[in-house]
Amino acid sequence: MTELTIAIAKGRLQTETLDLLSLAGISISSEMLASRRLAVEDESGRYRFIFVKPDDVPVYVEHGIADCGVVGRDVLLESEADVLQRLTLEIGSCQMVIAASEDIPLTGYGRLRVATRYPRITAQYFGSRGLPVEIIQLAGSVEVAPLLGLADCIVDLVQTGRTLRENGLRVVEVIAESTARLVINRASYQLKAEAVAGLIGSLSETRPQGEAT
Amino acid sequence: MSEPLSRIPNGMRYYFGHEARLRRRVEQTVMSVFEGWSYDEITTPTVDYYSLFEHGMGRSEAHRAFRFTDTDGRLLALRPDVTSGVARAAVTMFAERERPLRLCYAAPVFRQQPQSHTEWRRESTQTGCELMGADSSAADVEVLAIASEILQHLGLDDNYLITLNDVGIFNGIAKRLALDVGPRDEMRQLVDSRNAADLERFLVHHKFAAEERKALGQLTQLSGKRETLESARRVITNVTSGEALERLERLWLIIERLDLAKHFEIDLGDVARLDYYTGLTFNIYVNGAAARVGSGGRYDGLTSAFGKSEPAVGFVLDLDALTTILLTRQEDSSFPQDRERKMSHISSGDPSILFSEAMKKRAEGKRVLINFDEVNR
Repeated sequence: MTELTIAIAKGRLQTETLDLLSLAGISISSEMLASRRLAVEDESGRYRFIFVKPDDVPVYVEHGIADCGVVGRDVLLESEADVLQRLTLEIGSCQMVIAASEDIPLTGYGRLRVATRYPRITAQYFGSRGLPVEIIQLAGSVEVAPLLGLADCIVDLVQTGRTLRENGLRVVEVIAESTARLVINRASYQLKAEAVAGLIGSLSETRPQGEAT
Repeated sequence: MSEPLSRIPNGMRYYFGHEARLRRRVEQTVMSVFEGWSYDEITTPTVDYYSLFEHGMGRSEAHRAFRFTDTDGRLLALRPDVTSGVARAAVTMFAERERPLRLCYAAPVFRQQPQSHTEWRRESTQTGCELMGADSSAADVEVLAIASEILQHLGLDDNYLITLNDVGIFNGIAKRLALDVGPRDEMRQLVDSRNAADLERFLVHHKFAAEERKALGQLTQLSGKRETLESARRVITNVTSGEALERLERLWLIIERLDLAKHFEIDLGDVARLDYYTGLTFNIYVNGAAARVGSGGRYDGLTSAFGKSEPAVGFVLDLDALTTILLTRQEDSSFPQDRERKMSHISSGDPSILFSEAMKKRAEGKRVLINFDEVNR
């Protein structure tokens, strides 16, 4: 009987998450990983893992299908999911930035056109500064929008900044720093308190020494 | 293009068959427990002035209501909660009644905007109770004992947990930081989501002393039984928080003596609705539900909006969430199952014989099912 179901974000964060879990003594055999099963268990049998798209991690956790999940802060900010963010993990580090082809001022426009995959974060950020923006939601390759004349600037997630440079963009402003979070369903946090505390304990021990919680 | 008639608005649904019967029975069970503790049923108006809810629930909660205007232009709302209406009645209609007042209800509430992604219903049935005019910790114990009894009667005795907190603990620390409304709410959200990392960043940004940082950081982590209070006492030194901790400790001792401690936990990070509650707060969790199924607490400030300040404590349960849990737990639940639907099939060629037979069976309390196939036309 597994104690906890954990949702893992597929893609960019997946390898880093599995490495971190294995550092914490939670490992999934390579046969399991290769099995393409919907849900896999770790070697101790205490944890069950499901692999879903990053945007769906908070959804599975909020609905209690997964007790916990590992997902980037960017996804959490965009989803506004009602989940507990008990632990910051030292993986998946990146920044949410405003980028444009030249150092444009953000103020003074009657309307700033912003292309992004993060409409909520964008609306919230510009809204709190009282700046009128036209948000143009794109599904991907946001960095080409200014070049093609669709937008004046973009709000996007940046890891190394290479993609930005390749498209002639530079960071105008950093909106938020993002690293991965361990998120927990509110009911699981109470009803499976011991198991959750165990997982938090194992993951905390992987932190570099002297790191604040 | 016109809407197809077959369409149902978002967040609305039908109840029928087994689920409808179960739902009715859950409501009866809950209401009979309230009645057993001498609570009187009250039904508040379904449509009321929006300002009632704005004062009763706070602006951010009331904003979620369905709103429309009366013929004179005043803003109305479909009842988004029952407590506001009960509080108004307590200080107006029942002003002269002997205290404490014990009132209970079961009624649908309507919310246009859901609070979270799991709350998809825009109509849900709330059942709850209010104990008004008593400010002792004994009154707090009374409503907690009632909540426990309800869950026990629903056959959920091994599957529920009630978490306790006192808003004075957070408020005592926050007061010393003297924050504006905006940052204070940001800080509250960080504690409520147990987000220790961002909380620390927030506190450093606002240049708060290590003592406050440590105390607030602990709030995001302290939950458990009695030892939680002892840990809290070591990091929290201000008077307001200290008094709140003492209140919680007195309550905890009673819970232990009632042999209920296994169903309760202290959770100092629960600071969801500070603008509403004034002392004890609690949340009710049941295995099988992804979110809390009930919540309550002390809200001594509420009735002052209606002219007279009066201590009050109460809680509300989500009847639909409880029904859903019981539906999925059918086999291993000790809650009485749907009665066997035995019925007398009655048919006759003569309608008067048919119905005199049927009425006789009904007088005996039997269930009848009329068959029209043989009726002479």
